Amino acid sequence: MRVHVRILASFALLIGALILTLLVFRVPIGEGLRLIGQGAIFTEAGWTRSAVRSTPLVFVGLGMAVAWRAGMYNIGGEGQYVLGGLAGAASVSALGTAATWSPAVPILAACAGGGLLAGLAGVLQVWRGIPVVISTILLNFMVLPLQEWLLQGPLQEAKGQIPQTDRLPDSAMLARFDPRFDLHAGVFIAVAAVLAMAVFLYRTPAGFRLRVVGLGPRAARAHGISGDRVRVWAMVLSGSLCGLAGGVDLTGLTGYLGTGFDQGWGFMGIPVALLGALDPVGVFLAAVYFGVLVAGCENLARFADVGSPIVYVVQAVAVLVAVGLQHWRFAPKGRAEVELG
Amino acid sequence: MAVLEVRGVSKSFGSVQALENVSLDLRPGEVHAILGENGAGKSTLVGILAGFLVPDSGTVEFQGVEIRYGHPTEVREAGLRIVHQHFMLVPQFTIAENIALGNLRRWENPYQCAAVSEASDLAERLGWGLDLESRVDQLSVGSLQRVEILRALIGGGSVLVLDEPTAVLTAEEASELLAFVRARRDEGMTVVLVTHKLREVFDVADRATVLRQGRLVATFDLSCTEPDVLAEAMVGGPVPMASGTLRAAGEEIVRIEELIVESDRGSPAVRGIGLSLRSCEVLAIGGVDGNGQVELAEALVGIRRSSSGSIQVSGRSIAYIPQDRQTDGLVLEMSIAENILLGQSLREWTRFGILRMRQVLEWAQSLMRRFDVRAESAIVPAGALSGGNQQKVVVARNLHRVPDLLVAVNPTRGLDLRAEAAVRKAILECAAQGAAVLLLSTDHDEIEALGDRVMYMESGRLVDRLVGSTL
Repeated sequence: MRVHVRILASFALLIGALILTLLVFRVPIGEGLRLIGQGAIFTEAGWTRSAVRSTPLVFVGLGMAVAWRAGMYNIGGEGQYVLGGLAGAASVSALGTAATWSPAVPILAACAGGGLLAGLAGVLQVWRGIPVVISTILLNFMVLPLQEWLLQGPLQEAKGQIPQTDRLPDSAMLARFDPRFDLHAGVFIAVAAVLAMAVFLYRTPAGFRLRVVGLGPRAARAHGISGDRVRVWAMVLSGSLCGLAGGVDLTGLTGYLGTGFDQGWGFMGIPVALLGALDPVGVFLAAVYFGVLVAGCENLARFADVGSPIVYVVQAVAVLVAVGLQHWRFAPKGRAEVELG
Repeated sequence: MAVLEVRGVSKSFGSVQALENVSLDLRPGEVHAILGENGAGKSTLVGILAGFLVPDSGTVEFQGVEIRYGHPTEVREAGLRIVHQHFMLVPQFTIAENIALGNLRRWENPYQCAAVSEASDLAERLGWGLDLESRVDQLSVGSLQRVEILRALIGGGSVLVLDEPTAVLTAEEASELLAFVRARRDEGMTVVLVTHKLREVFDVADRATVLRQGRLVATFDLSCTEPDVLAEAMVGGPVPMASGTLRAAGEEIVRIEELIVESDRGSPAVRGIGLSLRSCEVLAIGGVDGNGQVELAEALVGIRRSSSGSIQVSGRSIAYIPQDRQTDGLVLEMSIAENILLGQSLREWTRFGILRMRQVLEWAQSLMRRFDVRAESAIVPAGALSGGNQQKVVVARNLHRVPDLLVAVNPTRGLDLRAEAAVRKAILECAAQGAAVLLLSTDHDEIEALGDRVMYMESGRLVDRLVGSTL
């Protein structure tokens, strides 16, 4: 009973926050909500867009969750996402069209790229004591110039005019279902990743060790689990998932990599993971929630006279509401009484 | 006239009746023990005395005035001072800063306040060599407690309540604390000692009030009470005792020679130890905390590298009961079943790469019945259990199958009599069935009761007895 009340209340809160945002931007409320609903849920163009926006969030959210569960605060999802995309594009350009008979090639290359970058941060922490919170965010800043250089050099399109790669050959693209919409086979990879991660975390020896290392590092040590090895592998896995997000966006959505490739999914994965309570299914729901909001606001920005900043404002408000709800859920009832019990 | 009078106090948390119609009175200048097992309601009573738990019914009068609940500072101002079981200090602050915290008058400079100079005088008078400028996180547990006591005594109180003050202290620190309690009584202060250790009670207390499952059993005058009577009152029946049976030691399981092991800080903690341990034998090693016991145990079970010397273990299965069950022994957020799985060979419970959680759960439930772990089911998080039940989970995990070697560090610290007896019994049974047991404990009674051979550890070396200590 109380759970239902809570879900209803959080939904009401969210709608309330949305309405408030619309008021601030002087968008007529009915019209604004209609545009958001239309752009995100109630039309075919809308729900497919929501699915496409949710997809990278699922991957990055899972990536953040798996690292954080091991006590590694990876916040470099953005860099790992971009490097994943770059690695995917580079694999196609290096291997040539003949060898890239399937999107699996660039996607696996993307996983490897993201995994290596995050793994590097992991190794730096266990080997030299450099916290991943610091190193991953700094590595983000190293990926951006790398991207710039690659797009003006080795990976630049054959015409050599714009800093962007050539289009991927069709054989390296994920399947699309309807030429009118962006919906691509990556959404299935996302759902599969959620299930795989749930099984991994709760039903495999490696996932068990990972959770032990995160929750009880000293207990792990006392029972012969090598915390350092688990932490590094957790970072590799985390980075691979962020790289996967880049690879799937490249092969499913954009088809080429330009300067606008990075859309901030890497950072938005952090609130997704937190709102999802670091649980794969929770991450999935949180990713869909943010994906729907992003898709709806894109439509709002396009048709209402507000401009694109409203997308970010609504995102920020949604994060704040989510954080507030989290607090509500976990705050102890009463005061000192609980502790003394 | 009583300094403090508790009349018919009851308190429940949800469906749990923590205290039921409890009455007691404190005479001026006495040491009054409040005695009970874990979960008897001691901490709840302290919370009510401190004024921050509100009883469902009943009253507490301090010096003839009824306590107003929800105003802990008023209680404190009136002179009822409480030192809680868990330290309430800011680790990154210095002692002086911690003392200033909560004792500042309005507009006072925290670095030159009356409270700190009073504390420094008081520490000097008590002969406690505390450097008020040192950071709290660098202090030993005994010193932390002294800081808490100093903080409580500032401004002069007439009643001092100590909640389980010796739970985390070494034997030496504990006897110093008890001497401190005696000295305060001789100065005319009333001291309430909340504890589950009978020995301390007979050491310092004049009267003892026994609680059992939230009810008052009786208040005893200790000048005419036998320890057995008090123990039975506490437990509610004859006290279970673990005792060793004669066993013939078998083949050699462990041989350690010239072992040197470093602590985390890189200084040698174990400095040249040699020992031999046979199956069916309990070697008990006593001594004060921090003399290399943990490092020895960790090197023996293979989670800490030795810098020189040799360790030969001829057994295959090694069980380890680490010192701190809450951080080393268990992962509190994880379920009982998962905690029992920790330390097992995961391969045995895996099929096609997937953990067979249903079988693990069933197995965990059966172990819970066998080792008397009281919880609704095996999916309850370990953190929701009482200390005794937590330790039983650790024991169940390690001793469900008789290991060749058992290494246990302070396995009964902080447990009540019943849980303590259960853990000791399990250890002895394990030895009787052929395990070699290395028991490292700071509890003198435990060493004597369980050890076939007894040695002590001092500054990283083994000695036959401790010289110049109170043990």
